[in-house]
Amino acid sequence: MSEQPAIRVHNLTFAYPSGPRALDQVSFEAAGGESIGLVGPNGAGKTTLFLCLSGVLPIEKGRVLLAGLDPADPAQRRALPAKTGIVFQNSEDQLFHATVFDDVAFGPLNLGCRPPEVKQRVAEALARVGLTGFEQRVPFHLSGGEQRRVALAGVLALRPEILLLDEPSLCLDPRGRRELIQLVNSLAVTKVIAAHDLELIRETCQRVLVLDGGRIVGDGLTRTILADARLMEKHGLEVPHSLTHHLDKHHGE
Amino acid sequence: MTLAFDSLPQPLSLLSRLDPRWKLAALTLAILCVALLHTVPAAGFALVGALVLAALGGLPFRWFLDRLGGLALFLLVLVVLLPVLLHNGGPHLQLGPLEVSWYGLRVASLLSLKAIAIVTLVLVGLATSPLGATLQAAHQLHVPGLLVQLAMLSYRYIFVLGDELSRLRIALRVRGFRSRVSRHSYRTVGHVAGILLVRGYERAERVGQAMRCRGFDGQFRSLTEFRSTLADVLFFFLVSAGATALLVIDYFR
Repeated sequence: MSEQPAIRVHNLTFAYPSGPRALDQVSFEAAGGESIGLVGPNGAGKTTLFLCLSGVLPIEKGRVLLAGLDPADPAQRRALPAKTGIVFQNSEDQLFHATVFDDVAFGPLNLGCRPPEVKQRVAEALARVGLTGFEQRVPFHLSGGEQRRVALAGVLALRPEILLLDEPSLCLDPRGRRELIQLVNSLAVTKVIAAHDLELIRETCQRVLVLDGGRIVGDGLTRTILADARLMEKHGLEVPHSLTHHLDKHHGE
Repeated sequence: MTLAFDSLPQPLSLLSRLDPRWKLAALTLAILCVALLHTVPAAGFALVGALVLAALGGLPFRWFLDRLGGLALFLLVLVVLLPVLLHNGGPHLQLGPLEVSWYGLRVASLLSLKAIAIVTLVLVGLATSPLGATLQAAHQLHVPGLLVQLAMLSYRYIFVLGDELSRLRIALRVRGFRSRVSRHSYRTVGHVAGILLVRGYERAERVGQAMRCRGFDGQFRSLTEFRSTLADVLFFFLVSAGATALLVIDYFR
């Protein structure tokens, strides 16, 4: 891991118009190559945090730096897609072209890549997610898991340094989920993964942030945080099944 | 699962092999000429020409008739009402209490022939090239990129909203709703229409966010390269010369 933080968030505060604060003085840093899990109950602010990080929502208070770029600055925000990729909860919202190829090529074309490079990036990204040969398929006719992989390929084709994944295991069957975990673990980029699937977080992240009511209420090693039954219960979460078994064995219950 | 792009037939034919740019230019010019015709015989000739193009394009007969069916319903209203309502003091036919004017009949025939000819030409354009290629051709013919993107997304999301409507209808049916002539029915249909609008808006927001996160800046970019041949040029000149000649004869004979 490099010494310069890939993500630096300081006192980030955000409120939707006529709504309560969705994010309240959120601060954290992520080192280059680190994989961070973001957990919390529904409405905790996970997706809002991602939208702020990716420059979609305006940063009202606080400071954010991703790969050295400030999303609050319009010029730097335009350069953000080349450095940061976000995979949204609902893949269908991310797919809008007639073919898988066109959809994955959308990002590189917007970055101004030359046609040979676009083709190379598309081929690489599709190979990465195991969808080689799907180039001419219609994205909307694929299964939920395949759509999710196309959405991920569309982001990987940008070759981001930072990857934000919002509920990546949603709609995936057990095999698709297993493949996703392997894929995420094979990506040597900085990752922030928001999920209710705590087993996926346990298998892909070294560190976990617990977000509740827009505030970070827990930050530590994945195993320590996820095994903290009191903390988890207090914030509407549960200790993952695999860790419960582990604790049971140790306590002889 | 959405119906999306491949609901257009795209049969292999003489026209499907043509460069979409020449084809689009020729058909647009032809449509413009047909719209400006003002005599019934000329409109009849235009319809014959459009049908010849439909045959050359290998449009599936059943698909073609289905599309014309919707138009026919609308035209039927005009054909029934115009001869009765439109009078210019000229000769007319007395049918009981109704006065059927020849002028009204002529206008109804002219409108019907022109409408069928124009819709046939549009269907030829849509069915003989993939929609993406047609839109890219439009962009290369200097249609603004934003309009092209808008057309592509509109087409795509018609089906998504159609899907959404089907889900809402199922949700209504499983809770015992049956469409009747009642206040409750109308109110429910109104709610469904409202929900569709809200969901459509929310989805548009999410799609827009996903596009911006992948570097979209309003420009339409594509890798498609078109290649013109002598056949494309010949097709363009034949169709545009035919349509222009018909228009000139219609006005100056």
